[in-house]
Amino acid sequence: MATEFIAEPDLQFTKDLIKAGGADVKKCFQCATCSVACAIAPDNSPFPRKEMIWAQWGLKDRLMSDPDVWLCHQCNDCSTLCPRGAYPGDLLKAVRKMHIQNNSWPSFLGSLVGEPALFVLTLGIPVVIVLLLVYFSNGFNFSGPSPIDYGAFIPYIAIQIIYTLTLVFAVVSLLISLKRYWNSLGSNNVIEIRGHGRGFIPSFIEALKEILPHTTFKECAANNIRYAAHLLTFWGMIGLLVTTAIVAFNIDILHLKPPSQNGPGTVPIKILGNVSAIAFVVGLAIMVIRRLTVPDQAGRSSYFDWFFLFVICGTGLTGVLTQLIRWAGSVPGTYFLYMIHLMFVLTLLLYLPFSKFAHLGYRTVAIAWGKSYGRNMTVPTAPNYAPAHPSAEEPTEKG
Amino acid sequence: MDHKIGVYIDTGYGIGEALDVEALCKLAKKEFKVAVCRAEPYWCDPEKLAIIRNDISTESLTAVVIAGPSRRVLEDKFTFEGAITERVNLREHVVWCQPPNHEDTQMLAEDYVRMGIIKASNYDDRAPFKEETVKSILVIGGGMTGMSAALGAAKAGYQVYLVEKEAELGGWARKFPKIFSGQPPYDQLAKPEIEGKIKEIKSHNRIKLFTSSRIYRIAGAPGMFEAIVRPDGPWIDDVNKRQNDWKREQAAKAARFAGDKDAGKGEEEEVGAWGVGEAEPLDFEHELLKVGAVVLAAGWRPDDPAQFESFGYGKYPDVITSVEMEELAAKGKITRPSNGAAVNSAAFIDCAEESVKNPFLYKSYVPSLVALKQARYLRESNPDGKAYLFYENMRTPGQYEKYYEGMQNDPGVFLSMGTVTGVSNTGSQLTVEVKDTLLGDQLKVKVDLVVLGTGMIPVTKDMAIVNLKYRQGPFLPENPYGFNDSHFICFPYETQRTGIYTAGCVRQPMDFKNAEIDGLGAALKAIQCAELVSEGKAVHPRAGDLSYPELFITRCTQCKRCTDECPFGMYDEKPDGTPLPNPTRCRRCGICMGSCPERIISFRDHSVAMIGNMIKGIHVPDEYEEKPRMVVFICENDAYPAVDMAGIKGHQYSPFVRFVPLRCLGNINLVWIADALSKGIDGVMLIGCVHGDDYQCHFVKGSELAQVRMSKISETLQRLVLEPERIEVHQLGIHEYDKLPKLINEFAEKISGFDPNPYKGF
Repeated sequence: MATEFIAEPDLQFTKDLIKAGGADVKKCFQCATCSVACAIAPDNSPFPRKEMIWAQWGLKDRLMSDPDVWLCHQCNDCSTLCPRGAYPGDLLKAVRKMHIQNNSWPSFLGSLVGEPALFVLTLGIPVVIVLLLVYFSNGFNFSGPSPIDYGAFIPYIAIQIIYTLTLVFAVVSLLISLKRYWNSLGSNNVIEIRGHGRGFIPSFIEALKEILPHTTFKECAANNIRYAAHLLTFWGMIGLLVTTAIVAFNIDILHLKPPSQNGPGTVPIKILGNVSAIAFVVGLAIMVIRRLTVPDQAGRSSYFDWFFLFVICGTGLTGVLTQLIRWAGSVPGTYFLYMIHLMFVLTLLLYLPFSKFAHLGYRTVAIAWGKSYGRNMTVPTAPNYAPAHPSAEEPTEKG
Repeated sequence: MDHKIGVYIDTGYGIGEALDVEALCKLAKKEFKVAVCRAEPYWCDPEKLAIIRNDISTESLTAVVIAGPSRRVLEDKFTFEGAITERVNLREHVVWCQPPNHEDTQMLAEDYVRMGIIKASNYDDRAPFKEETVKSILVIGGGMTGMSAALGAAKAGYQVYLVEKEAELGGWARKFPKIFSGQPPYDQLAKPEIEGKIKEIKSHNRIKLFTSSRIYRIAGAPGMFEAIVRPDGPWIDDVNKRQNDWKREQAAKAARFAGDKDAGKGEEEEVGAWGVGEAEPLDFEHELLKVGAVVLAAGWRPDDPAQFESFGYGKYPDVITSVEMEELAAKGKITRPSNGAAVNSAAFIDCAEESVKNPFLYKSYVPSLVALKQARYLRESNPDGKAYLFYENMRTPGQYEKYYEGMQNDPGVFLSMGTVTGVSNTGSQLTVEVKDTLLGDQLKVKVDLVVLGTGMIPVTKDMAIVNLKYRQGPFLPENPYGFNDSHFICFPYETQRTGIYTAGCVRQPMDFKNAEIDGLGAALKAIQCAELVSEGKAVHPRAGDLSYPELFITRCTQCKRCTDECPFGMYDEKPDGTPLPNPTRCRRCGICMGSCPERIISFRDHSVAMIGNMIKGIHVPDEYEEKPRMVVFICENDAYPAVDMAGIKGHQYSPFVRFVPLRCLGNINLVWIADALSKGIDGVMLIGCVHGDDYQCHFVKGSELAQVRMSKISETLQRLVLEPERIEVHQLGIHEYDKLPKLINEFAEKISGFDPNPYKGF
């Protein structure tokens, strides 16, 4: 069936994409080397070729409702093989940024995080909150109490209120953003993927089955050290989350005192926390080093990438350093770094739906959407290519 | 004339080991009484050449026969003052393709030696054609190409006459605001630089400029053209009408001849030859120029946009052609023709041609470049403007790729392949519908302006321009696509009228930079022509050939086959109907020689009698020996090198064939077939160049004519009571040497299936 389509290119959108990292998108001449090279592009309507022409033509609607950009794990095979130097991998990344930014709620925060000129302001908000918190707790007294008692430096309750509120805000905001994205996916399904019409929950579960062990990411064989690094960071992060949740649960619900900050490291909860932290930091270090040393494979990093990396690395690094300096015995240093760590954690949580961190939600939703529509990596031609209503196409020649 | 001949047999290259050279020498001395016969290895050695030179002076030899390597090599070494040279190919045609020291191989070598000696002894000593010639160059068209040609020729020291129909020089370049700069980094446009050229032309003392003038007529031949330049006026329409009427009648006549009885019905008038009879009086203002050669740089006109009615041309004022877009851009800001509002979006459509069979006929790469250029006009006029480009192919050859890359990088330029199916008016804008695009099978865009990239038609399509006073008509012959025909692959500037060279867009669509270069190229060809002709030499492809056809006119029967068949219009016609040769127009292909039933046309080194005698000189064993003989006439341009190549590659084939090289297969005269068959030769084969639309014949239609002539030979065969299958005609490309052994062996096999030719021994 011929699908008619009125193209209304959005010149500004193309310019935005170029600014957001797709600087060479216009160089593409549609040879499709990228889609052929990609190890994980689906057989029907593969990416990133179609995204390239949509981006060149400023077809905002199509790109903003495109689930495929989130199927890409940026192994960058497409960019290194592109005969024209159009960097399809970078374009997909730029589109992902636009997804996060354009679906964000409240939208001004999306624009704030994405704009390099507003870096100081972006970072300033959580910094000021933590500074105020420290000021009202102890008036910037970093010298005591000794031995280290974080609960005495800043009351746990204050931290819990602020951080829980922030987390709730972030989660709500992310859910609203994702809902918008999910809606747009359904409304403008131009790639004509039709599947079995599975419901959201089973699709979501299937998506998780793929995400948790990073099975698709592993298919990006061209760059699988990144897969390993991301897997470490991912599970390190989950480990840290679990650690934090258990500690919070113990304090708030069971009213148990947390294990002494200065006690032995052999407490199970501490082992979990430390192992997770090491995995987290090591994974991140690999990613950052690769970005700096082999940009060809890691892709060209934009402000959006660096902002998120800065925050998440800062979180991990300050966390680990706080513990190390505590072992070293510097009380003021420990409290000072603890404060910095809190700043980073707050930044990470606050901007979860607006920074690259949001990819955890978008990618899950896009994969789940693909599952619900039966968009698989390799599709048997017949069932998925069959038109939704084959009978509607055949001319009725009765009478 | 009687020649005193020296035969020099080369025993190098393996010839000495494979043949009984002594026997060959004996044969030359006994059968032909040659004055000298020597056998040595490598006669091309300077010391050995000295022996030959010494023989020429002491024995007063007039002809030298070198029996050794192919005549395609070492030609310069075997050129002797005071004696003509004939080459016998014992290397590629004998020892390299036949088993050594075999009886049949020896017989083959003996026959070639005989044929070589016979050919040499039939040489006629005639002086080359010399007449008073001029070397001035006439350039028709004062656009970019013509100006470049005129300046090039003038700077090389030749008198130039430049004729331009408009009042001003410059042509299209004067009307277009910008063209490609042609300068690194090749991504910019620049104003056409014509003012400097115009100034230079006007002040050059070797260029005589005629503006607002046209060519009334060109008569004569290279080196002695007489061109009449006449101020432009309504007379040109009469001339064109007369010429086109003549052309139409000619076509009708040809169609009637081919069997279409209704062709040209109602026009009863007998179509005569063009330019025969009394010249009409020149009772008008004119100037008569004597010129040596002509450069035709008359350019192009845009294709008629009326054929693009489905794209709304003529219906909506905002649908314009690319030429109109240039005019619009020349005014400054680009506005809509309908209401004068600024253009925010425009679609540039590379229109498919009227004739689907040749979709790129009048296009080449130019419309791609023009669309990219005009997209830049829009983007510079309106930074928020959107330019859509739809095309079947985006063709930006060479450095233009850089320009394409630059435009592609512009966010406001939207490119997609696709076929535009229609343009409609929807409210204030036009909607362009495109199918099979990169964005889907059906696409619509709304635009303020639609620009149709139309084709570039060579102006010679419906005007002769050169208005030749040739018997074969006023036009330059066309190929099936409406461009001047030439041997396009090998000789791009040539036309089928010697001494007239096309350049620029009249030759093929091209951009200004290439037109400029093309003009220079054609000017050089014209100079080359004027110079060679002044020395009595052929121009091309047999450049430097000093022979030319001579007619024993008293035996002419006015059959007009030579005047009709010459692909180059060499013959005009005398009032009595006999041919009037113009030797400087001649390319020395010998097609006329082959066409003449009276066999009265001959070259000094190539004649009907000479080839006939060579065939008669072949030794034909009697039928009991079971050694059939076949003569294979080969074109020396493609087939001969192919046979050489087969030898070089060591391909073996039947030893019963005898190759006879011709200047062109169209050179074949039916009498040679009769000569061969009545001598007892069992089969005759003709191998010529590929013909048809993509012909490879150096002389355009020689191989085709040969095929036609052979189709009429059944009469001869019936008279001789022989099977018509004894004659075969084949086409062989120069690269198809590997097919040659199979071709020959199959023919030999077939011939051995027939009874021996009953004329053996008569």
